[in-house]
Amino acid sequence: MSLLANPLATPSQLYHRASSSSLPRELDEAVFVATQCLTQAAGRLLQLPQSVTAQANVLLARFWLTESPMAHEFSDVSAAAIYLVAKLGPLPRSPRDVSNVYAYLSSANSALFPTGGLLKDDPRSYYQTEADYYAFQQRMLGLEARILRSIGFDTHVSLPHSLAITYLQTLDFLLQPRTTVSLRTIQYLNTALLSPQMLYITHQPNALATAAIYNAARDLGAKMPEHEWWEIFDVDREELGFLVVAMRSLDGWMQKLKDEFPSFGSKMLTRSMVEEELAKRGLHVGNGDEAPVDAEDEVMRMMDSR
Amino acid sequence: MSSKPKSRWANTAEDAEFEARLKKEKEEKRRKKAQKLQEEEQKKQALLAASSTTPRTAEANDDDDDNNQDASTVPPPPSSSSRPSKRRKLTPEPSTTNNTITPSSSSSSALLRFDVGTWKPCRSVDHYDKLNDIEEGTYGFVARATEIASGRVVALKRLKLEPGDPNGLPVTGLREIQILKKCRHRNVVAMEEVVVGNDLSKPDNSIFLVLEFVEHDLKSILQDMPEPFLSSEVKRLLLQLTAGVSYLHQHYILHRDLKTSNLLLSNRGLLKIADFGMARLVGDPRPKLTQLVVTLWYRAPELLLGARDYDAAVDMWSVGCIMGELITREPLLQGSNEVDQISKVFELCGVPTDESWPSFRRLPNARSLRLPKHTPPQASGSVIRARFPNLTAAGASLLNSLLSLDPERRPSAAQMLDHEYFRQDPKPKPESLFPTFPSKAGQERRRRHEPDAPVRGQAVALGDVDFSGIFQGRDKEERGAGFSLRMV
Repeated sequence: MSLLANPLATPSQLYHRASSSSLPRELDEAVFVATQCLTQAAGRLLQLPQSVTAQANVLLARFWLTESPMAHEFSDVSAAAIYLVAKLGPLPRSPRDVSNVYAYLSSANSALFPTGGLLKDDPRSYYQTEADYYAFQQRMLGLEARILRSIGFDTHVSLPHSLAITYLQTLDFLLQPRTTVSLRTIQYLNTALLSPQMLYITHQPNALATAAIYNAARDLGAKMPEHEWWEIFDVDREELGFLVVAMRSLDGWMQKLKDEFPSFGSKMLTRSMVEEELAKRGLHVGNGDEAPVDAEDEVMRMMDSR
Repeated sequence: MSSKPKSRWANTAEDAEFEARLKKEKEEKRRKKAQKLQEEEQKKQALLAASSTTPRTAEANDDDDDNNQDASTVPPPPSSSSRPSKRRKLTPEPSTTNNTITPSSSSSSALLRFDVGTWKPCRSVDHYDKLNDIEEGTYGFVARATEIASGRVVALKRLKLEPGDPNGLPVTGLREIQILKKCRHRNVVAMEEVVVGNDLSKPDNSIFLVLEFVEHDLKSILQDMPEPFLSSEVKRLLLQLTAGVSYLHQHYILHRDLKTSNLLLSNRGLLKIADFGMARLVGDPRPKLTQLVVTLWYRAPELLLGARDYDAAVDMWSVGCIMGELITREPLLQGSNEVDQISKVFELCGVPTDESWPSFRRLPNARSLRLPKHTPPQASGSVIRARFPNLTAAGASLLNSLLSLDPERRPSAAQMLDHEYFRQDPKPKPESLFPTFPSKAGQERRRRHEPDAPVRGQAVALGDVDFSGIFQGRDKEERGAGFSLRMV
């Protein structure tokens, strides 16, 4: 039993996911980021600490490693992940609360997707009827069981945040003001949760913490020890280099995403939006569960049955 | 080397050998020089360089065997390769890095790596074949089954699911899985995997825990054995129980339902703690906990008095109750309800006083207790010594401390392992010498009534309880060296 380590994705799982995905890569990544952002927002509204919400992010990433994102509505998966993690932790949230939060976030009133104009609070836009709630709850609870099955009930998540603080203490906060350098480090760690490279399921917490500290130190111009200090934290140079670049590139990547996919960030990303986008590009995608229907096969079948 | 087809430009074998020898000498020289230099600089780094096992570059594969063997202990200096290496260098050379990083040498140190594995979807329960039911616990059914592929016998525990539960899967079951996944100890029952039923789309699809199969539970053994355990056997069982509890507490797990029916005993005398339906992980600071834990007869007095902020000592109280039960074969404190239970506790351990349990008056239910105003000194002490006349002084002191009313005074599991009692004669009996019992798992058997583990819900308030009379007439009781002979 290790309180400091996480189960990691195997190369074959990552390969399988990349090769069998029904979405083009940039769409797949966009879905991932949008849903992780949504989960973070929901965590804030549910007044959950980041230690809980971040675990939900990690579980979501684990789930989507084995299941196609297009199999379920993204917001439902996000809701199920956060509900599950909260339930296991010290601060459970009721399905009703979760339902309300997601209804609000997907409404036109949602503060997550500023549309430019000042928000006029209109409760009607996120009011849920009893039937809405019931349907949402059924989907969420079904997905809860589904997530657990897909990840083999392995809900243990070690987060790097507290490790990073311990490491910073060891490094004497790099002779920087404590709050500045810690804040920057934690910011890197939180941003890395959103990364479509799924850093949290491919790297151990100690490596993530070290890379975040490295980045924070670079940003603040702090002087780092002259030796290979990351080895103290059991990170080798290559892994550190990879993570440093991955964390730093996220900003530019988000910018690019917004340029390429203009609807991103204007409202909650749904499956139908992705399907529309696919249709626009002339691609067809099935529901994730079924194989895409080949038009020619269809014609052949019609001729056979005649 | 000779097996490879040679190109026209290839050197002869002699050339290669000569070259290799030269290189070896060169390397040897360079190594010595480098070592000297580094020793001057930093002793530690030199040590690393000498013992390092840097992965060799591709050139090593083409070299002669003798060179290869030698070179595996010597780190190749970065510039020593005469041919360009074929493998892409993954680690940049020191000179090419930016100025903030100045690696000391090409040596690599041993980095800690966790072997943690990965996750994969649950398998279907169809991989197992049910043999017979074992029992129905508070939180699930247990059946004996075999894995079809391997023929191994396992216990399948099915989580009890409420089909229409608005909260989804029961949190107790999920916690049990979470905790069992983390536990690896010989005295804790091992979970192999979780398997699921075939109705994947339904939220109430059944979930099974695949646990190692253990032949007996301690309760049914105690009920059916004609003679109590020998004291050497009691010691071994207690030691195993304490080792398991100590492991759990070290890993921030409270079991919260220790009792003899949750302790399994294998035919080889190995005791295993089972049923983690009540267990939970506690951090530091502790989260708010429910007081509705632990089966009534094994419930610590602070829980009976409504404490919300309790710790590992509640498990130690249960261990004390189990110790008494192992000696007498009867549950130690069989209260019929909460009030009766606490009066039985006070009868055995004495009424709490400000000396014996300073903080008890602050507990929620303590206000409703009416304790005798002037406790006679003999009534405030415990009668454990008299109840267990056969126990040695060390044994009685251990039981006494486990059953301290004040949770602060109970020993921790780790402390208990060091107790004098286990070092005294008779020594704990080796597991392999334990008697065997006919396995009851699955067969019909008489079950005596025992209260169930509490279910989540409303706690019972004690109400106004008058305890002022429970020690009346105690001074008239006969007191003496209560020893008894064991006839056999």
